[in-house]
Amino acid sequence: MTPALSVRHATKIFGAQVALDDVSVEVQPGEVRALVGQNGCGKSTLIKILAGFHAPEPGTEAEVAGEELAFEDPVASEAVGLRFVHQDLGLVGNLDAVDNMALGQGYQTNATKTIRWRKERAAAREALAALGYDINVRLPVAGLQMSERTAVAIARAMSDRGSPVKMLILDEPTANLPNAEAQRLYALVRRVADTGVAVLFVSHHFDEVFEMADSVTVLRDGKHIVTRPVEGLTEDELIELVVGRKLEVHDKGSADDREHSEEVLKVAGVAGGSVSDLEFTLHRGEVVGVAGITGSGREFVAPLVFGGMERAGEISVGGQVLPQNRPDVSIERGIALVPAERHANASLLEQTLRENITLVDPGRHMTMGILRRRPERADVRIWLDKLSVKPSGQTEFTMTQLSGGNQQKVIVARWLRQEPEVLILDEPTQGVDVGAKADIHRLIDEAAAQGTAVLVCSTDHEELVRVCDRVVIMRRGRVAEILRGEQITADSITAATIGRDSDEPAA
Amino acid sequence: MTDVQTAPEAAKPKRRINLGFDKYSGLYVWAALILVFALWIPDLFLQVSTFKQVVTFQAIAAIVALGLIIPVASGAFDLTVAGTLTVSVCWTAWALANHHGVVVAAGGALILGIIVGLLNSVVVVKLKVDSFIGTLGMSSILIAVAYMITNSSQIVLSTEGYAPFFEFAREEIFGLPRSVYYAAAIAAFFWWVLEYTPGGRYLYAVGGNPVASRLAGVRVGRIVMLSFVASGLTSAFAGIVYLSTIGTATPDSGSGYLLPAFSAVFLGATQIRPGRVNVLGTLVAIFLLATGVTGLQLAGAPSYVTELFNGAALIIAVALAARTARRRG
Repeated sequence: MTPALSVRHATKIFGAQVALDDVSVEVQPGEVRALVGQNGCGKSTLIKILAGFHAPEPGTEAEVAGEELAFEDPVASEAVGLRFVHQDLGLVGNLDAVDNMALGQGYQTNATKTIRWRKERAAAREALAALGYDINVRLPVAGLQMSERTAVAIARAMSDRGSPVKMLILDEPTANLPNAEAQRLYALVRRVADTGVAVLFVSHHFDEVFEMADSVTVLRDGKHIVTRPVEGLTEDELIELVVGRKLEVHDKGSADDREHSEEVLKVAGVAGGSVSDLEFTLHRGEVVGVAGITGSGREFVAPLVFGGMERAGEISVGGQVLPQNRPDVSIERGIALVPAERHANASLLEQTLRENITLVDPGRHMTMGILRRRPERADVRIWLDKLSVKPSGQTEFTMTQLSGGNQQKVIVARWLRQEPEVLILDEPTQGVDVGAKADIHRLIDEAAAQGTAVLVCSTDHEELVRVCDRVVIMRRGRVAEILRGEQITADSITAATIGRDSDEPAA
Repeated sequence: MTDVQTAPEAAKPKRRINLGFDKYSGLYVWAALILVFALWIPDLFLQVSTFKQVVTFQAIAAIVALGLIIPVASGAFDLTVAGTLTVSVCWTAWALANHHGVVVAAGGALILGIIVGLLNSVVVVKLKVDSFIGTLGMSSILIAVAYMITNSSQIVLSTEGYAPFFEFAREEIFGLPRSVYYAAAIAAFFWWVLEYTPGGRYLYAVGGNPVASRLAGVRVGRIVMLSFVASGLTSAFAGIVYLSTIGTATPDSGSGYLLPAFSAVFLGATQIRPGRVNVLGTLVAIFLLATGVTGLQLAGAPSYVTELFNGAALIIAVALAARTARRRG
């Protein structure tokens, strides 16, 4: 059988850095292949070469279903049958599914160049139905669920644009999806593969690799490490392949003592967003997790507790009541928030790492009315090193020059530098590679060991198992139950979030 | 590991050369302009009087542009700068002509500037109107106010009657009028604020990402308010300098200052600290444009060359900057 994609000796050099080093990959029609590796391992570069955004070094060859790929521009890649869906999906939020699907391929029109709306809508509905989705195609896509938006983007990619689709390439397809929606997407990808189209997807989420892929290709430092079937592979083995070393097993120690240590933060009767009644306490040195499905109110817990949005009810730190909607006061009282979606909520993308880290108190290195850059730089460098931000020591790099995992570390550094009493992290490892993820988990452990009370809100249940002493389960806007010690497993969290009643002991 | 460690070092020398040219291209172009005109029309261009003329004429425009930098740094447009200048000019002239004294005239003008800034911030921060639209509306209101003050006519201050007031901007120190020193002092002050104080960091942070800034404890609304007050006050001061320099007030005194101020700020954002509006870049932009225009006029170009040159230079410079930014990204 002719492979759907065959890449040989792919090499790409940026300046002095070899981003991709003689990588050869083959994907068969109907195969679902995961492409994994840490940030900076070369997987994005490989995708961008295939998409025609980067020209590879001479000697790189690629064929799509036997036809040579010219590496010229995105049009050439599309012409041989490659289709791409990027992580941000590339949809226009205030347009509906029909308009979004017409972007890039135009509308069907009649003789007077009027759009044949009825036909367009039918075609859009049909394309989505083929993927197993029944969506109101006249609704602005911003109002759709994340998985539905992903479906619209994939339906658009799969539509015939003068060349038959041979291969669908997805960049982190489920990065932003809650578990139940991710399941729908797995089914969608399977449908695509069943039509004989090859699927290649980039992923940081290993559960999606195991759920979705037939085979996996691991890249590390720009080199091809292995391509093998997923069957028979364990998660630990895969992590080892990706990282190139064994990750140490973490010992949490005794959580009981911590729950009975000094109370730092008390949340009583708090409501706001889709949260109707939030009640819990945080103790010194304790790590508490918050889990819940989309709509359970989980996504509002971090901003509410931090004091970044309107709320009812009372939050007190060290006995003092916190005013609402005053992040500056919250910070003064020792609360820190690493928010979800770092690009929108935390990063000054065009500004330096130094400015990003010292944003909370830029005046720390001010003497005689002048900010002193030299001590500021030295201060920031210490934090970059502490969090092993790569490339190391570059305080004057802008955020855009870093990979996602390193950007997240910079935001974490901003807050650890404040030595907070309470550290709140909202989806702290979203879109972060396994290495950076392990680093961030280690930092959470360290902060807690030094007496910081930590609150981690996350849809990544493995993460909660890894770092938490207690896990607060949110259901329908309120705290449904609290899991402790042995009760905390990924399965028990998942089960609790989707609403098994706590009074009935799990069989 | 060796890859990671050697890469930044190897990239360094290359980057330095590139950045130098990016950052200071305006200075090179400026030098080239001076050289061209010096060779082309040496008798007219290479004169102390020409230098003096360029510097003096640009002092008022520079003050307005410097004030504008502050709100633009915080991500807000302030289209009222010219309107505020006009109202300040008209108020000061009216108060002087009606013998209310210099303190009432100038002090009142500055207070008006602060009020305009506060109103702008109410519209933008409290009413959440987009700054471009909100200040566009405000600037139209300000023109109406200027007409009210002057009763739709012009107020001419005679040179004899108001000698001390005219000294305020016209008196020469080391051969240059005081207005030039005011512009320099304001430039130095804003340069210090933006580069060396927490306030400057907050301004750029709010301009870069207001949501992230708020969650990092920055009082975003307050920063935007203060930035409007700063530009209002600066424009009002420019109005006093204008009246002291020109001596005549009309309801369209300030109309010629809006576009040059924006041009200078945006052109300046491609210089010295590429990618962000900044004081030194703005100064380079103002004097680069003034040098080009003056040279062309001396060489016999028609008067509309000012607008032509300013517009073309702005578009070309910003387009080039966007291209370099893309290549770097």
